Amino acid sequence: MAVSLKKGGNVSLSKEAPGLSAITIGLGWDPRATDGKEFDLDASAFTLKADGKVRADGDFIFYNNKVSSDGSVVHNGDNRTGEGAGDDETLDIDLSKVPAEVDKVAIAVTIDEADARGQSFGQVGGAFIRVMNKDGGAEIARYDLSEDYSTETAVIFGEIYRNGADWKFRAVGQGFAGGLAPLARNFGVNV
Amino acid sequence: MQTFTTGQKTQLSTLTPQTNLTLTVQVTGPASEYDLILFGLDAAGQLSDDRYMIFFNQPRSPEGAVEMKSGARNEKVFTVDLSRLPASVRRLSLASTVDSGAFNAIDHAEVTLSSSGTPLMNYRVTGRDFQQQKAVMLLDLYFKDVWRVGAVGQGFNGGLDALVRHFGGTVADTPAARPPSPPPPTPTPAAPRPAPTPAAISTPPAPTINLGKITLDKQGQSAKISLRKDGQKDPISVNLNWDKGGGFLRASADLDLGCMFVMQDGQKGVIQALGNSFGSDRFEPFILLDKDDRSGASSDGENLVISRPDLIHTVVIFAFIYQGTSDFTKVNARLTMKDPRGNEITVQLSNPDMRRTFCAIASIENVGGEVKITKEERYFKDHQEADQHFGFSFRWSAGSK
Repeated sequence: MAVSLKKGGNVSLSKEAPGLSAITIGLGWDPRATDGKEFDLDASAFTLKADGKVRADGDFIFYNNKVSSDGSVVHNGDNRTGEGAGDDETLDIDLSKVPAEVDKVAIAVTIDEADARGQSFGQVGGAFIRVMNKDGGAEIARYDLSEDYSTETAVIFGEIYRNGADWKFRAVGQGFAGGLAPLARNFGVNV
Repeated sequence: MQTFTTGQKTQLSTLTPQTNLTLTVQVTGPASEYDLILFGLDAAGQLSDDRYMIFFNQPRSPEGAVEMKSGARNEKVFTVDLSRLPASVRRLSLASTVDSGAFNAIDHAEVTLSSSGTPLMNYRVTGRDFQQQKAVMLLDLYFKDVWRVGAVGQGFNGGLDALVRHFGGTVADTPAARPPSPPPPTPTPAAPRPAPTPAAISTPPAPTINLGKITLDKQGQSAKISLRKDGQKDPISVNLNWDKGGGFLRASADLDLGCMFVMQDGQKGVIQALGNSFGSDRFEPFILLDKDDRSGASSDGENLVISRPDLIHTVVIFAFIYQGTSDFTKVNARLTMKDPRGNEITVQLSNPDMRRTFCAIASIENVGGEVKITKEERYFKDHQEADQHFGFSFRWSAGSK
C-alpha cells in the first residue's frame, strides 16, 4: 500500500520498501482540456550537495541532458502533451549509484515556453508525483499536488533525500516564477 | 485594485471579507453580440443543476443568489451573494461565447470584480490571447477550503456546445422540455436496510440545455413551444432593438414595441408606450412592457414579457416607427423572442417601404397546450389597418407622446 502524502509530508522509502536499491519517479498532469497550445510540461532533476547546489552542470538532468554525469539519474524522455493516463514523464534513480556527496535529488516540472504561450501552473490540473520501486514497479509513495497554483511556471514536485543510511521522499510542491532557467540557476547551474 | 494575469489565483479574503460581489463584464469586438454566461457548477466542476446557468434566457438563480443585469456601455453585470448560494454550487465560472468569428478577433474582454461599489480586481484579455476559440472562460469564483478567485482565459473552438459539454451538460439540437427534476429522496426505512447493489445505483440524467436558436425567415413559418405542465410560469420575452441613428440635424429614431392581445377569457387590449399602456406582470394580461426607449440608446432596446402564455388566446407583436426614420431597414430593426428554455426566434425587419411604418411582426397563439409563434412581418400604414387584418376590432384614435 503506497503512502499518500500531503504537501510538506515525508516518508522513508527504505522503511516502506526494505532492500530498495533503485526507484522510478513518475510525474503526471492532465492534458489541456480547452483548445489552444498544448501544455508541454517538462520534468527535470537536480542532484544536490548538502548546501542545496549542484556539483557541476552535469547534475542538472533534463530533456537535453538525459543522464547525470555519475549515471545515477536517467530521464526517460519527453512527453509533449500530457496525453494518456498514468505517468507522463519518468526518471530512474539508482540509489546505490548516487555519490556520497549528493545529499538529495530535487524533482521539478516546468512549463515549456510558458511566457510565450501565456501559460502557468494555475492552468494545469491533476498534477502528481509518485515513487515506485524500479524492481517490480510497486508504488511506494504518492503526492497529488492539489495546491492551487497561480502564475508559477516551475514547481518542485518533490525530493529524494538521505536520512542517515536511509532514503526518504518529501512532497514539496513549491512553485517559482520564471520557468526552468531561473530554477536551474537557483540550484547553481550555469544556464 | 489588483490586475490579474491569465492563470492567476488568490483567496477571495485577500481582496475582501464581503460575500456580496459584483462582476462587471464587457466584451468588445466585431461580432454583433458576445453572450455572457455565469455557470454555477458543483464541486466536481459539473453543471449538475441547469437552473444555475445564468444567461439572457435565465437571468436569475432560483434563490436569487446570482443575477444578471444589463449595465452601462454594453456591460453585463452579475451580482453574486456567495452566502446565499446552495452548498451544491461551489464554482461560478464566467464565460463568453460568440456565434460569428472567434475570440482572436475581439478588441478586448474585461472583467472587474467589486463589492459595495469598490473595484477589487480586474482581468483583461485581448484577441492576441486567443486563436479560434468561440467560447472563453474568463473568471472563476470557486470554493476550495475557502472562496477563491482565478483568472482563466481559456476556451473552446467548439463554442457554447463545447463549453457546456466541458461542464458535463448535454446540448439538445431540437427544442426539448426541461428534464424532470430528480425524485425527492425516499425516507430511510427504520427497518434493516438492504445492502445496496451496485447495479441498482442510478445516476441522475445529465441536464439537457437547449440552446436552439430558431430564425423564422419566411412569412407564415412557425415554431411551437410546449407549455409547462407543472403550472409554473414560463415567460416569453420579446425584445425590439434598433440602431440609434440620428445625427446633428436629425432626431434619433424612435421605434415602439407593443402588442395586441386577446386572453382566453375574452379580455382584449393593446400594450404600448403610446398612451402609457405598459400592462402588468402581476395582473391580467400578465404582459409587461419595460420602457419607452425614445432613441435606441438603451442597449437592450424595448422589452415585452408575456408572463403567462398559458392564459393568452392570441397576441400579435408589433413595432412601429414613432419618429426619426422613414423605414425599418435604415435603423436595422430586429426582434428577438426567447423562452426560458433557450428557444430563440429572431425576425429582422426588412421592409423599406416608407409609407408603411407599422409592422405586425409575429403572432403568438395558445393552441392546445402549446404556444405557437408565427412570423407575420406584415407591414401596414397604421394600427387600424393592422387591426382590420387580424380582426381584433379595437376602436382607434390618433395619439402622441
